[in-house]
Amino acid sequence: MATRRLAFVIRSLPYKTEASRLALTHAIASQTVEIYLEDGDLVEPVVCFIGDGVMNCLKNQQAMKNYGLTSIEQHMKNSLLLDLKVLICKEDLDKFGIKEDALIMDAEDIGGETKAQIVPYSEIQKEMEAVDHLQFF
Amino acid sequence: MKLGVFMSDFKTGSDVLNRLSAEKLGIILVGNGIYHATVKDTGKASSILDKSANFYVLAEDLESRGFNSSNVDSRVKVVTYGDVVDLMFNDYEKVIWI
Repeated sequence: MATRRLAFVIRSLPYKTEASRLALTHAIASQTVEIYLEDGDLVEPVVCFIGDGVMNCLKNQQAMKNYGLTSIEQHMKNSLLLDLKVLICKEDLDKFGIKEDALIMDAEDIGGETKAQIVPYSEIQKEMEAVDHLQFF
Repeated sequence: MKLGVFMSDFKTGSDVLNRLSAEKLGIILVGNGIYHATVKDTGKASSILDKSANFYVLAEDLESRGFNSSNVDSRVKVVTYGDVVDLMFNDYEKVIWI
């Protein structure tokens, strides 16, 4: 029995490129890969937002209205609905003056119970060291 | 000349913008350029807003990223797609994208 840990670290701004969307959809998809694994084997993803990437976590994104696209907000909520660990860098939020109440911290409106966590960069660094596979987006 | 400049990046393009001069300069913040109008990095507004120019930001790109007009620096006017078309046809002879 083995658990493979994956970190998806998002440092890109949303929408101009698909980077942050890809990170989230890959993280979500990593949950379904378990059907291809041996019994007892697990995949455990963690999603981390650092640098400019913290902008992906802002509430009230109206991408569907304006671009006809599923918002990054919805992908974040889907991640939380699936109990993915979501970490947001505290120092970068402070740098941009972004408060917790401006952020997507939960997916309660779609039945999610897991909450995103605002953590110091040192915790994200620990996650990056602990995982088996590290991917930057 | 009357020059309109579309800016769609947050961390690149400022160097080019700083060198541009025009009798009338309009800077239209679109896409990820909207962060210049909304975000204070380490408490400071974007340095491009110190340039002598008319600043505009596209409402649709603000909204899509979770912002609204209350988040926008007072030096920047919030405009719609329709307003941008009017600016291009009525206010600026040349339009570039950086």
